[in-house]
Amino acid sequence: MASKFGLAGGIPERRVRPIWDAIDSRQFKNALKHSTSLLAKCPNSPYALALKSLILERMGKSDEALSVCLNAKDLLYKNESLLMDDLTLSTLQIVFQRLDRLDLATGCYEYACSKFPSNLDLMMGLFNCYVREYSFVKQQQTAIKMYKLVGEERFLLWAVCSIQLQVFCGNGGEKLAMLAEGLLKKHVASHSLHEPEALIVYISILEQQARCGDALEILSGKLGSLLIIEVDKLRIQGRLLARSGDYATGADIYEKILELCPDDWECFLHYLGCLLEDGSSWSNGVHNDPINPQKSVDCKVSQLPDEVVHIYYPYILYVVCIFCCTCILLAHLFMTFYAEFDFCNLDVQFHSRISTSLAFVKKLQADTSDDFIRCPYLAILEIERRKQLHGKGNDDDIVEALMLYFLKFGHLASFSSDVEAFLQVLSPDKKTEFLAKLMKTLDSPATVPTKALGQSITIFKIQELTGNLYKLPVLELESCAVQMVKMYCKSLPLSKDLDPQESMHGEELLSMVCNVLVQLFWRTRHLGYFIEAIMVLEFGLTIRRYIWQYKILLLHLYSHLGVISLAYEWYKSLDMKNILMETVSHHILPQMLASPLWGDLNNLLKDYLKFMDDHFRESADLTFLAYRHRNYSKVIEFVQFKERLQRSNQYLVARVETSVLQLKQKADNIEEEEDVLKSLNSGVHFVELSNEIGSKTLTFNEDFHSRPWWTPTTEKNYLLGPFEGLSYCPKENLTKEREENVRRVVEKKSLLPRMIYLSIHSASASLKESVEENGSKSGSKISSELKFLLEHHAKMLGYSLSDAVEVVMGVSSGVKSFEAFGSDEIDWINFAVFLNAWNLNSHEPLQPDRDQCGRGIWHVVDTLLVKYISEKIKSMESLVCSPRVDLPILVQLVTEPLAWHGLVIQSCVRSSLPSGKKKKKGGSMDQHSSLVLNGVRDSIQSLCDILKEVAKWIRGQIDRPEDESVENILSSLRKKEQDEGPGRVFHVLESLIPSINEAEHGGRICQELKTWSALDVARKIVTGDSTLLSQFLNICESKIKSFQALKQQIAPI
Amino acid sequence: MTTIRRFSCNDLLRFASVNLDHLTETFNMSFYMTYLARWPDYFHVADGPGNKVMGYIMGKVEGQGESWHGHVTAVTVAAEYRRQQLAKKLMNLLEEISDKIDKAYFVDLFVRASNTPAIKMYEKLGYVIYRRVLRYYSGEEDGLDMRKALSRDVEKKSIIPLKRPITPDELEYD
Repeated sequence: MASKFGLAGGIPERRVRPIWDAIDSRQFKNALKHSTSLLAKCPNSPYALALKSLILERMGKSDEALSVCLNAKDLLYKNESLLMDDLTLSTLQIVFQRLDRLDLATGCYEYACSKFPSNLDLMMGLFNCYVREYSFVKQQQTAIKMYKLVGEERFLLWAVCSIQLQVFCGNGGEKLAMLAEGLLKKHVASHSLHEPEALIVYISILEQQARCGDALEILSGKLGSLLIIEVDKLRIQGRLLARSGDYATGADIYEKILELCPDDWECFLHYLGCLLEDGSSWSNGVHNDPINPQKSVDCKVSQLPDEVVHIYYPYILYVVCIFCCTCILLAHLFMTFYAEFDFCNLDVQFHSRISTSLAFVKKLQADTSDDFIRCPYLAILEIERRKQLHGKGNDDDIVEALMLYFLKFGHLASFSSDVEAFLQVLSPDKKTEFLAKLMKTLDSPATVPTKALGQSITIFKIQELTGNLYKLPVLELESCAVQMVKMYCKSLPLSKDLDPQESMHGEELLSMVCNVLVQLFWRTRHLGYFIEAIMVLEFGLTIRRYIWQYKILLLHLYSHLGVISLAYEWYKSLDMKNILMETVSHHILPQMLASPLWGDLNNLLKDYLKFMDDHFRESADLTFLAYRHRNYSKVIEFVQFKERLQRSNQYLVARVETSVLQLKQKADNIEEEEDVLKSLNSGVHFVELSNEIGSKTLTFNEDFHSRPWWTPTTEKNYLLGPFEGLSYCPKENLTKEREENVRRVVEKKSLLPRMIYLSIHSASASLKESVEENGSKSGSKISSELKFLLEHHAKMLGYSLSDAVEVVMGVSSGVKSFEAFGSDEIDWINFAVFLNAWNLNSHEPLQPDRDQCGRGIWHVVDTLLVKYISEKIKSMESLVCSPRVDLPILVQLVTEPLAWHGLVIQSCVRSSLPSGKKKKKGGSMDQHSSLVLNGVRDSIQSLCDILKEVAKWIRGQIDRPEDESVENILSSLRKKEQDEGPGRVFHVLESLIPSINEAEHGGRICQELKTWSALDVARKIVTGDSTLLSQFLNICESKIKSFQALKQQIAPI
Repeated sequence: MTTIRRFSCNDLLRFASVNLDHLTETFNMSFYMTYLARWPDYFHVADGPGNKVMGYIMGKVEGQGESWHGHVTAVTVAAEYRRQQLAKKLMNLLEEISDKIDKAYFVDLFVRASNTPAIKMYEKLGYVIYRRVLRYYSGEEDGLDMRKALSRDVEKKSIIPLKRPITPDELEYD
């Protein structure tokens, strides 16, 4: 091969080097110059051409690059005597991959391998191509060829991994696992295995076939020595033993692990599972949902399977006897005997095993001197929980165990999350009793101040967790918040010497205060509490600006208040990037979708999609990296992870919403809108997506743990509804419900681009047809497709087309109220808009008894828009009175249905203009067109008027004197401490300021607190509100301008 | 209460509460996946009860001859689980793997010169400041290269501090 003789692609390396250097330093023009002179000397060198195509691609000249690259490929194929080296091929591969033509790259390698069937480098290149294409079968075949060629273990494992991928990610059946096992077995017999990862793969293949016994045999044999870390080997052994049902030996193994790692909680759960012969922790898939895992391990209540037959046998007999009505007395006798005998046996077994576990845990406690090891202590709680689940324990023992755990670890921040699962099994009375006992400990607090503070915080957290806090009456709840904030102020000196980067003692208190204040707002609807919650968190961030928990709470508070611009500011300050965009952007994305901050939304969507698409592009290369480094388990993991992200619901939503955003942004100009539609292939792909969404498996990768209690998922916001007396809002796992919702949203939204496209064409066709008199084929095609989509849309709203028409007509005429639309108001009005567009070009009457075909239902759409928008404006008070929860709907009304309706109008006006091709015969207006244009004129007028109303309302809000608004915000907080109502907490914080001194609080805290100003925060809220409304005003004004221009255009017609 | 196990891709979807901390960098996917593909033994996560992510460590092994060493790229613990010596446990694990499996001479790490709490913690764990790297962080802040010798470096040669600071160009590894 050429490269073996110091040549690169058949060309001396000294000639190629300057080109690569220029490429590496991104001097592409220079690189191209070198490449041209190289090609002058070697015009038929595929490598020289491949280099040129690489440079062209980097310069952004994709078409030229492809053409040169294809040229190089042809030369490579044609010239039989030429060398087929990996360097040329890999250069071509890079270019083809960047041009999204993996098929061509694969073709090159396939050709090369057919020419040089025993060249390992080329085969590896081909394998890599198949990895990029996710062609698992071809990967397997190529790897086997390599294995046969050189007999190396790694190539066999490449083949085995490719087989596993067919099973896990493809359509491969279980028989394939047998094939993989056969291959490995044969290799082991002749060559053994040399890599720990190879052994792991071997074991996993046997496990897949439920052959744990065989796997254990291999692990305990010579191959087991490949695993150097003893604990790793023991863990696998324990799992295999449990899965094979050998619980007794499994328990022994887990004991050994716990002796080596006494703090391993998962291992303890496995140990207990083995002792109680309960395989739940291996089979229930604790890790099934990696994002929202279960808080406690599920366990079967009827365990110890040996006894199961004995238990059920008399029951079966009993039932049979009763059923046959032969001898009831005999049946009862049977029961009494067996029940006493077997339950007694079972009890003894259970008690004995529980005692064993207790003894072992006590031994672990005794052997452990490390104060930070919590597992053997929490283990007591788990044992008590199991006892209770089996009906053998009692709440008192759990409370006692909880108290012991508290006395040892109650000062730790993780205490409450450690015990959360155990609190759940307590009755409400016992929870209260536990809390009372905790309170009593406050009489003799820990001597170390940070410990005492930690314990006090824990008690508040437990109150929150059990829901007892929220059962308090308003006044007491308020006092509780005051107590918390006082504790926070008192704890500040403890952090005086801490580095500003370090978390301060007592930081959680302000998050809890915020939770209580929002609860008070929900109960009383007094906005003062809400503002107070904002102030508390802003105060906390003044002292230390890095606390992300405060930022997330603030983000949601500002979102609910209606000041999304400030919410977005805090979101940005969290620096959420890369994979965090998949897991955490749910905090802001839904609100932004309904906001007028189009520039920011565009960035948000663009960054997220780029991250995901980049990963999809790079993932295969990283998978190949795992192959090369012989980390086979990672190969499977990477492919599965890529699939998981590809099926992300958020990714799907973002793709649809990005297109909808583009359509919203260009809706005032029909030509620009048509360009957007063209780039979206007239919405055809999205219709396909809408049709397919029902059968797609979606993944939900959002991490909801950091969401506040009042909005546990993106779909829920308790504050929007009345106080429900919910004392505790658990963070339910609502994946199923969410899945339905996402499917519905995507299904509906994906139809939008196509419906807009068809509506524009339907409107213009209606006027053209009337001019052409006989109608056109394309017109009727549009009409039938639009009707089909309208039927689909109506179905999604739960109606047939005719019934949906009835609803729309009813609401518009006032016969039905807006309530008929439910929460789908935007979808309903969109439906009306598209219905009008369809009707313009339809020969079918909308309602059987009325002849409306061909003229549209302009007045219906106008009335709906005008009525609905006016209602929303009226419902919104000034920001200082209540949160502007209706603002997102108002923004959506203007930027979606009104905008789409505007496009239908623009289309009509354009088609009726006497210019260019659209010039009408004789220039006179026929009756049909005239009727349509009258509707258009009225519509323009109505929309202009209502938009002016919106603009007037916005100006009214913006033009309010800033000082007045600021004063209003602050006035709700100016209370003396002893007064009831909002402001008590705020008062505690404000009175802290004068008492702050360097000696007690340290220089940094003093310095930071000097910058605190509630006035500044209030001003920031008012300014943020103005910023947001100004953006909305710009949108409205642009639309008004566009409608006014249309009015002028249409006037002379 | 810690189950320390190998980090997997799915953990990337669970570590938000750790990575939202301002000092914890969220790298791009190819960075994490390169570590997973090449040095899976050096990338571990600590799980707490309820399967919560408590923290994680990522690192690698590299170098030649007597420079063959383990490197800590990132070690981080969620706020809820701090002050429980979890970072120490994670560091010990990486050191053990470098020492026992890969037979490295030392473990090293870089830390911002201003990050006093972290420097103090590493010193407690037996690390010494080997050298200062001028403007290592984004061309602005100096970094400190801290090292801890492993059993293979019997004479502890690897940790004898350099007398002069170096520039990032002089670093042997990225």
